[in-house]
Amino acid sequence: MTGDAVYLDFAATTPMDPRVADAMLECAGADGTFANPSSVHIAGRRAAAVVEEARAALASLMRTEPGRLTWTSGATESDNLAIRGAALARAHRGKHLISMPTEHKAVSETFRALEKEGFELTWLAPDSGGLLSLEALSRALRDDTQLVSVMHVNNETGVIQDICAIGELCREHDVLFHTDAAQSVGKLDIDLGAMPVDLVSLTGHKFYAPKGIGALYIAARPGLRIFPILYGGGQEKRLRPGTLPVHQIAGLGKAAAIAARERQANYRHVSAMRDRLWHGIADLPGLQRNGDIESGYPGILNVTAAGMDGESLLLALEPVCVGSGSACNSAVAEPSSVLRALGRTDAEAQSAVRFSFGRTTTAAEVDFAIDRYRSAVTRLRAIAPVT
Amino acid sequence: MPPADPYNEEVRACFANPAHAGELDGDHARVLAAQAGDAASGARLALSAGTDNGIIEALRFRAWGCPHLIAAAEVFCREYEGKPLAALRQFYANEWMARLRIPVAKAGRILLLEDTASMLADNID
Repeated sequence: MTGDAVYLDFAATTPMDPRVADAMLECAGADGTFANPSSVHIAGRRAAAVVEEARAALASLMRTEPGRLTWTSGATESDNLAIRGAALARAHRGKHLISMPTEHKAVSETFRALEKEGFELTWLAPDSGGLLSLEALSRALRDDTQLVSVMHVNNETGVIQDICAIGELCREHDVLFHTDAAQSVGKLDIDLGAMPVDLVSLTGHKFYAPKGIGALYIAARPGLRIFPILYGGGQEKRLRPGTLPVHQIAGLGKAAAIAARERQANYRHVSAMRDRLWHGIADLPGLQRNGDIESGYPGILNVTAAGMDGESLLLALEPVCVGSGSACNSAVAEPSSVLRALGRTDAEAQSAVRFSFGRTTTAAEVDFAIDRYRSAVTRLRAIAPVT
Repeated sequence: MPPADPYNEEVRACFANPAHAGELDGDHARVLAAQAGDAASGARLALSAGTDNGIIEALRFRAWGCPHLIAAAEVFCREYEGKPLAALRQFYANEWMARLRIPVAKAGRILLLEDTASMLADNID
């Protein structure tokens, strides 16, 4: 419980782990490692040591070299830096880029901005389960293609793309491959030493670190160069200027160390919670799971209930906090572009609910959500006009 | 600033307890019915009125749509029971926009209620 709320929206953000908060507090105050890590004095060097310790912890989690990681403010900035930085650095070679309509807006809107600047985009539609067809990607790759971006775990459906196969295909064509791994870092086993991926975006707040801190992985690969998108000091090898937020970085490092130890147990826990919830509602008529079930991350369960108005369903579910199948950035919700890309109708997309689970989710909370969902669907269907 | 609650207390109360949702029960000298909206427009509303001697004895609704529509239908049924049928012609839903704090972008929802009430009135001989 979060106060009087039952929080099942861990794909949106996670609470900070108390151990992470403790690590951050050690950086705060006059006695903490608060100094500017770029300063050469002793306090600065201590702060720099904290930054590098966190970088090493994150690198260990993702099985790569610490030097391959650049601190950013989160996945949105990492996506912008990776996509824009790579596209601009390789523009002299070609201006064709490839992505999917199921990407997070941090990716899709960056590509749309590049389109306005003369780049050409190919959007590859997923199959009905949300997966990318390697054949479709192979057909779309051209001599002038410079970058492919496909997210690892979809934030709405939990669908896991085969990024190894995608990356291998890109390498065969000398095309850079970027993946937004905001939903997978800290949750799935990621071995960047073995994965043919060039650029990986991540953020801390999806795995119990604070908001406002993330990183971009850049592979050590000949010819892989990206341009900065911000200008200022020479921090982060001149790629990402700005005074480093030591306390945020310390928090992310602590979260990475915890995830390295507890990831498998957390995976089993969210799997059990997801299965418990689904088994509790699956007999309701007209339910449909969104996203490929076999290849999904078990921390996310996206369900459409036929004939529901999504907004009414969300209100009837209170105090259960879930994600909706609508983009509620306007007074009248727009159906999710991700679910539309999977072939769902506007009505089906708007009646979708995303339950997402985390390490603090309890069986009692899931049972409460089951009761609430069942009664909400039954009640709203009962008052709907007969068609 | 945190985002404002999109629903005021009256909307929340009516949505949580739509006492007038469902079908008419009991005998009425005459029953009027009207329905408007469709899936494409994102909302449907059905009203039924049990009447006697030109008086609305009972009103019921069925609604598929957002919480504002369900709440508005509940308020409508509650307030128009006991009124003369002719009062249906004087219902102007836009007067409830502020009362139920309905955003302008959702004006179509409350106008659906006005349309359905008007169709109900058109059934009066």
